[in-house]
Amino acid sequence: MNRRLLFILPLLTLALMAGFFAWSLLAGRDPASIGSVLVGRPAPRLEVKALREGEPPLTDALLKTGKPAIVNFFASWCTPCLAEHPLFTRLAQREGAVIIGVAWKNKPAEANAWLKRLGDPYKFAGADVEGRTGLDWGLSGVPETYLVDGQGIVRRHFRGPITERDVNETILPFLKGAK
Amino acid sequence: MLEFFLALLTTVTVGALLVPLLRASARRTERLDGELAIYRDQLAEIERARADGTTPESEAAAARIEVERRILAAANAAPEKIETASAPTESSTLHRFLPPALALLIPLLALGVYLNVGRPGLPAAPFGTRPAMDHPNPNEPMTAERLLAQARARLAEAPNDPDALSALGEALTLEADGTVTAPAIEAFNKSLALRPDDARAHYYLGLHEAQSGDSRAALERWQALEAKSPPDAPWLAMLRAEIARVSKAAGLPVPPAQSAMPQPSREQQEAMQNLAPEQRQQAIRGMVEGLDARMKDSPDDRAGWLRLANAWRVLGENAKAVDAYARADALAPLDTRTLTDWAEAHVRQIAPGAPPPPAAVAVLERLEKAEPRNALALFYLGAASFASGDKAAALRRWRTLLALLPADAPIRAMLEERIKAAE
Repeated sequence: MNRRLLFILPLLTLALMAGFFAWSLLAGRDPASIGSVLVGRPAPRLEVKALREGEPPLTDALLKTGKPAIVNFFASWCTPCLAEHPLFTRLAQREGAVIIGVAWKNKPAEANAWLKRLGDPYKFAGADVEGRTGLDWGLSGVPETYLVDGQGIVRRHFRGPITERDVNETILPFLKGAK
Repeated sequence: MLEFFLALLTTVTVGALLVPLLRASARRTERLDGELAIYRDQLAEIERARADGTTPESEAAAARIEVERRILAAANAAPEKIETASAPTESSTLHRFLPPALALLIPLLALGVYLNVGRPGLPAAPFGTRPAMDHPNPNEPMTAERLLAQARARLAEAPNDPDALSALGEALTLEADGTVTAPAIEAFNKSLALRPDDARAHYYLGLHEAQSGDSRAALERWQALEAKSPPDAPWLAMLRAEIARVSKAAGLPVPPAQSAMPQPSREQQEAMQNLAPEQRQQAIRGMVEGLDARMKDSPDDRAGWLRLANAWRVLGENAKAVDAYARADALAPLDTRTLTDWAEAHVRQIAPGAPPPPAAVAVLERLEKAEPRNALALFYLGAASFASGDKAAALRRWRTLLALLPADAPIRAMLEERIKAAE
């Protein structure tokens, strides 16, 4: 009789899993979101060489100027980066935002050509050819964008391309509020 | 072929479920029987050994007792088996009914799901053939590189030509896969400085505003462009589609088409803003009727007739629209785009399922001649052929249309039904 009970075990497992999946689907949780441990903490070390020739390398000091900064990891080979690029152009030109771009696993020549073709919204641009800085920043891929306040604390972490809604509902209030 | 595989798959599935079920009842007692047979053999061997004298009497007796104990243990271990094997219970009735029930239910379920979800008439879309549809003219691909080279060549000759500047911006945008880049914006702004009403520059600057997260500004710019555009401007259809797309993406209401109506003055517009929707509709109708009356005095104004025809068409007065198109056409033959509108005004008056009347057929035939792959012409001329008994012509047109339709076109099913009826 005990053996028979044993056969219920797989069914029980199945029921548990089905329950979990149903909860995941119905609870409004975004399964693509893997969260970020950085939010609310000081930004990781920023130490990359400059993307554009003749500029000094990027350092942590850029994140602690008292003014909010947007840190955007991008690559010329990344299609979503193309889609979000006009949004950064607008943030830089019309809102005067300080945007720090880091070309991630991207040859500087290719990244520069890409920026030349599309326009360059980055006040500071770095080249993280090996992807080490991306590792420090907990990058899962490009594009990813961090909102860092004037004291160098990460306030928001976008995984994936930013959208018009992100700009209007999150980034613009952040830029105004943090000033 | 596909149906054969589906049937095969169902059969295999049913078989895989049935075989263990049918076997289970047979195997039920097998195990105990097998064990007993082994013990019987062992007992016989012990007896043989004792008779030969190779095993002493006492050892043989001990071995026999051991085997008998095992027999008892085996029988005790399978009391349920013996029970179920000897007395049929509810579980064996279940076994009697489960196989036929499964054999029926699974094919029925599969058929039901397939009839709901499946689309047997859907043509295959092999990867290799798709690019050919994107480039209908493979001899002259309009690549971004070529357009860019053309625009640069034109600018080298005339650096202050707004048209060439806009063409350059457009080419730069195409090169960036449709993203309006900073150099393109620069070109468009230069073009606008030289010619403030350049439609292409306004369109792409609006597109940039939409891409850079300012959909409201984009829509404002585009609506202003739409209002300024002549009613037969070639870009209007695309502009309206873009306005609808961006409004939807931004969650804003899609604004109604603008330039189809005669343009009211600013005061009239402001006065109309304050009216209730029915009153506004009334006011618009009054303005169109005014245009209609004016056209009686200047019957040679072809552009006026076209504007009137378009206004009636938008207001849903298709019979009046058809007449106005005919007046314009009498002055000079209409182009393909206007022919499409004319034909549309004709076919909107047709009751569902009825064939188009001769006047509509005449327009549709001209449209088909100008544009052999026009969906409207193919569909309704097919219906006309079918009604006049020329099933071959109807089938030819409908099959052409079916091949042109995207796989998810909603009228596909209806068209397939009609083709089946004609066959």
